[in-house]
Amino acid sequence: MTIENNIWKRAEGYLNNTLNADELKFLEQQIAKDKDFAAEFHGAANMLRSIQANAAQQKFKHRLTSIQANIRQEQKEQPRKISLRLHYIRTASVAAGVALLASLGVNFWNNRNQNSTPKYSELRKVRTEIEGIKQSQKRIIKDLDNKANKPAIDNMYSGTGFALTNDGYLLTNYHVTEGADSVYIQTHSGDYYKAFMVSFDAKSDIAILKIESKNFKFSKQGALPYSFATSKSKLGERVFTLGYPQDEIVYSEGYISSRNGFMGDSIQYRLELPAEPGQSGAPVLDAAGNVVAIVTGKESKSSGTTYAVCSNTMLRLLHNLPQSNIINLPKSSKLSGLSRSQQIEKIQDFTCVVNVYK
Amino acid sequence: MQLSLLKEHQLLEGIAQNDRKITEQVYRDNYKQVQSWVQARGGSADDGDDVFQEAMTILFQKAQQEGFRLSCKIGTYLVAVSKFIWYNKLQLQNRRPDFMPFDSGEEDANHQYAYQDDIRVQEERELHFEQLNAAMEELGEPCRSLLKAFYNEDKSMQEIASVFGYTNPDNAKTQKYKCLTRLKKLFYAAQVHK
Repeated sequence: MTIENNIWKRAEGYLNNTLNADELKFLEQQIAKDKDFAAEFHGAANMLRSIQANAAQQKFKHRLTSIQANIRQEQKEQPRKISLRLHYIRTASVAAGVALLASLGVNFWNNRNQNSTPKYSELRKVRTEIEGIKQSQKRIIKDLDNKANKPAIDNMYSGTGFALTNDGYLLTNYHVTEGADSVYIQTHSGDYYKAFMVSFDAKSDIAILKIESKNFKFSKQGALPYSFATSKSKLGERVFTLGYPQDEIVYSEGYISSRNGFMGDSIQYRLELPAEPGQSGAPVLDAAGNVVAIVTGKESKSSGTTYAVCSNTMLRLLHNLPQSNIINLPKSSKLSGLSRSQQIEKIQDFTCVVNVYK
Repeated sequence: MQLSLLKEHQLLEGIAQNDRKITEQVYRDNYKQVQSWVQARGGSADDGDDVFQEAMTILFQKAQQEGFRLSCKIGTYLVAVSKFIWYNKLQLQNRRPDFMPFDSGEEDANHQYAYQDDIRVQEERELHFEQLNAAMEELGEPCRSLLKAFYNEDKSMQEIASVFGYTNPDNAKTQKYKCLTRLKKLFYAAQVHK
């Protein structure tokens, strides 16, 4: 075995030009005088060349497909997700100006007309719109502040992630991060951070990411509010999820409709719960605030059937992490007994958008 | 950097290195012409895209060769090769094309053997890669994922050691060499049976 390893090592060095003059000379001599060695060596070198060339071609084809997908998307005249965001910023600030003018106009008109009840509600509507716009402007300002931290706009896909630890370990779907050049997460407050992959399990479609920044915290409130279910939940259990199919966090709820997932897959649940693209990787929680699963996909034909990988599988991946990344999960949930909106308030800081650039 | 100011050989170099911007530029500059040409000759828009991507892949492979130069413009090459690919495809389906991939007197005609040669070489290469992929599938875990992580996902041995649970990069390397040895056996066995 060691002789074979030695041949691979030297073939690798030879192809990558990392052999020094002596090693190269010795190699050439050995090839010249030992026919068996020469055959073995050339076999290994050819194998490596083929593997490298194949990988390079696959990457190139992947590139072509993604370019084609971009063009198709543009042709559909649906702006890509990222450009939607920019577009939204610009029109939102314009809209803010217009709405302000409109409301002043109505206000003026209102003051002069006493029979103003129906108009009043309209005005209120404008006012709430203005509130909304103010908020989005705050977000815009925050976004602009973060420009330096923001990745260059590029070919982008997004999913959802949620925290495993407050200091930046998070879970998402493997398919979200597959083939990524770089991964950035955007926290609920709108800040961007670069992340890298710590571990993954392609089969069960889960990946553990870590945010690079050393002093990152998901939330100032400290530890995770939710815990992780260690056994499979019961059929019919009510569950809910929080994800990012759009810029804003979206809540949806449903129930476990089968304890086994797609084609009877026992590491998944089948849920009756509406989910949209972008919600991949979102946590599925039960009423007491235990994470029971992670959203992974949906049935293409029906709208409400969603599949989610159960928490046992996540825990198994965590246990197999090397010693250097020790993740201590909370033993109990801080969410039981709270109303749903209170629960959401506590959870949302621990969710994020996972932006993947390919 | 203004892409439009790049010289042809710089574009070729960019394609050879799978540079995103340059590849995308070349793609956008040429795909429409191929698409409408194919559509005018019994194909769909998808067929046009497929054919064009095959031509791009051929150019990618040719550009890997050291000192490679095209005797014509990149766009001319891509369009001509695409035409031949579509022509061949129709012939394979026993649909006799009622056109030639080149008009007589066109410059393409002079290079038709060269184009067909490039296409044939690529077909052989694809077959070779297919066999390699088949051997890779037969390899099983963790070898398959490990080799993919190293060669396709450009992970460092350090990262691989951490993801696959080896105590250090050297152990991961030893495992990688073992996997390569097994892959080589499977691959050459497939070659013999063929």
